[in-house]
Amino acid sequence: MGPDVHGNVWLREHRDATRLRCADWDAFRDPDAVTYGRYVAQQDDQETYVEGLLEQFEREDHDAALGTEAVALLRRALAPSRYLAHGQQMLSAYLQQLASSSYVANCAAFQTADQLRRVQITACRTTQLRSAHPRAGFATGERQAWEGADDWQPIRRAVELALVEFDWDRAFVVTNLVVKPVADLLTLSELGRQCAEAGARLDALILENLWIDAQRGWRWTAALTRFLLADEANREVLQGHLDELAPLGDAMADSGGRLLATGSGRDAAEISAAVRTRWGALLAEAGLAAAAGPAAGTP
Amino acid sequence: MPLNRDDWYDTSRDLEWTLSYVDPEVAFPTRWSGAQGIPAEAWQAWDEPFRVSYRDYVRIQREKEAGVKAVSNALLRSATYEKLDPAHVAASQLHMGTTCLVEHMAVTMQSRFCRFAPTPRWRNLGVFGMLDETRHTQLDMRFAHNLLRHDQRFDWTQKAFHTNEWGVLAVKNFFDDVMLNADCVEAALATSLTVEHGFTNIQFVALAADAMAAGDINWSNLLFSIQTDEARHAQQGFPTLAVLMEHDPERAQKALDVAFWRSTRLFQNLTGPAMDYYTPLDQRKMSFKEFMLEWIVNHHERVLEDYGLKKPWYWDDFLHSLENGHHAMHIGTWFWRPTLFWRPNAGVSKDERAWLNEKYPTWEENWGVLWDEIIRNVNDGSMEQTLPETLPSLCNLTQLPLGSAASRHDLAPHQLVYRGRLYHFDHAVSKWCFEQDPERYAGHQNIVDRFIDGQILPPDLTGGLAYMGITPEVMGEDVYDYAWAKDYAGTESD
Ligand SMILES: [Fe+2]
Ligand SMILES: [Fe+2]
Repeated sequence: MGPDVHGNVWLREHRDATRLRCADWDAFRDPDAVTYGRYVAQQDDQETYVEGLLEQFEREDHDAALGTEAVALLRRALAPSRYLAHGQQMLSAYLQQLASSSYVANCAAFQTADQLRRVQITACRTTQLRSAHPRAGFATGERQAWEGADDWQPIRRAVELALVEFDWDRAFVVTNLVVKPVADLLTLSELGRQCAEAGARLDALILENLWIDAQRGWRWTAALTRFLLADEANREVLQGHLDELAPLGDAMADSGGRLLATGSGRDAAEISAAVRTRWGALLAEAGLAAAAGPAAGTP
Repeated sequence: MPLNRDDWYDTSRDLEWTLSYVDPEVAFPTRWSGAQGIPAEAWQAWDEPFRVSYRDYVRIQREKEAGVKAVSNALLRSATYEKLDPAHVAASQLHMGTTCLVEHMAVTMQSRFCRFAPTPRWRNLGVFGMLDETRHTQLDMRFAHNLLRHDQRFDWTQKAFHTNEWGVLAVKNFFDDVMLNADCVEAALATSLTVEHGFTNIQFVALAADAMAAGDINWSNLLFSIQTDEARHAQQGFPTLAVLMEHDPERAQKALDVAFWRSTRLFQNLTGPAMDYYTPLDQRKMSFKEFMLEWIVNHHERVLEDYGLKKPWYWDDFLHSLENGHHAMHIGTWFWRPTLFWRPNAGVSKDERAWLNEKYPTWEENWGVLWDEIIRNVNDGSMEQTLPETLPSLCNLTQLPLGSAASRHDLAPHQLVYRGRLYHFDHAVSKWCFEQDPERYAGHQNIVDRFIDGQILPPDLTGGLAYMGITPEVMGEDVYDYAWAKDYAGTESD
């Protein structure tokens, strides 16, 4: 195609004009070396495990025995999270299509698929919970919650703002260093803990399993960040984007704490603080500094 | 699972929300979605043509992977490869070099669906397509990697798209157009429907059958396994077509007509010579034309008619090209064999010629006379007469040689001037395609344009070969070392 067709202009503007310097993008390696064959094999094992959980807990009529607190938590925080996962799915796909190397693009492709896995498992659980608790609003009210519930709004806002970050380096930072780690810490890890405390054991175990995918996503993210930071000139670029975009993650951590808070488990402040600390540790592992100060406002 | 997929499936695709923190037009630009002119609600009618859960996908695909790998491992330890006919091997090298990275481009096209498609249902299905295409890329790479010890030409599986080999540029140009530069709607019509639902059957079903007959179980098995994925994800195009037929049928008709012609020309280059000339005679299942008539005309076009589409306006030209185009591409590629990374088979021994005449009644009149000239030169030892000194003139749409869309009786200039530049076409239909969206094609330089522009030095065939990345160990030469011409020695036909 000629240099001025839409696709080529888009690549020049949003990929090639990056301030990131990298002499050889193809030198990057996925620390997990995920190939297609390995991916479907390992995910089939994971799905077999989850399938077993669903069968086992079905036999003990687990959902019907859930208490009011657990039902409310799942209704409030778990069921609407399929919208969040769909947002992450779109964001991950963008990282694939503008990546400068197939070694990076493949990681993002498998990450995209992980998010669809989460959408479908969440939809399946939502449907099961609807049949156990037909009047609790499962499978009907999630869009309203995602679009309107106060504590979801900073999370939805972060996803939407991330969707319009089209420069690849900014898209990578906002997706894989801000929105995804904070969302996964909140809605997989912390939510799992809250579920366990509230007696929602099945969802605690499922979320723990989904967290394995999130950790794989994190490993390539940290590896790629460190790979890029081998050139010190890239620190200013990546840290600069992070400092600018991190307030989105801070706001997510704050409202996410409120969203997940329960009487039996942690309260909002504890959850927000835990997420912020763990996110900071992840960023440090990737070679970056957590953005200054909690909830420094929104960009 | 205690629940059936259908119990929760609707919830898993209920993912649309109203963006309020950003402008939806910015988040989903129509330049990528292709949704311009179609009311947003229209996409609610987009219904998955197949339903697959992630759970089932990874289980089924894991089994498929295990199956292909088992066959491949078993054959690695046998001497199957050494027994293959070298002309058949050339067909597999041509396929690998021109297809592997198309599979990889398709990963990105599917990923575009995942991000920008105008309905979350399509965005979800794109994920499976994206995984499928990742599979195909990696299967091809592994297949070729295992054969590198036999022949360096398999290195072109990965290398070809990083070169400027002219045939590869034609393939790349087409898929840049219909995959990477296309919006989701264009890609659905041109790639999912036309290429994947229609034309890949020729490459992956017909060629797979020929490969099996040729004893290449490994490659045949790989092609069939890939086709099971293609047959599934190609269907993504139908609900998009249904939406378009409701709201913008003219756009659908035009996009399909352009894609159909471009695909026809491309497959005349990729598959026609492999099926009708490289595959050993006793192993041929169907002629290229027969396969095209059965799969493309009878099957694919009939399906499209059910949606209210008309046959392309150039139908008679298409049928005429079907008799000739790939014969033209074949004699052209054989003549310019030093520019290839595989060893072409002339495929015109007396027996093969009888078969060609039976399948194509005009073959002798249109092509036989040209081959007789070559045969005479080969048997006279005038090899220089059978080899090129320059590059052929190329079409500014298809990137294929001028004159290669029909027979020697149809030669006519097809040209136009656009913004002061003169463009050449291999057929009136190619020119028509260009005119439908000139900005899309005008900025590209074909190899001859680059030659004239001074980008290829020295400006001769040697410079051209260097520019194309052709090295001595892969450079194309007649695969049987002209043994077939001995059929005619002393009994020159004319
Ligand atoms: Fe494919
Ligand atoms: Fe495909």
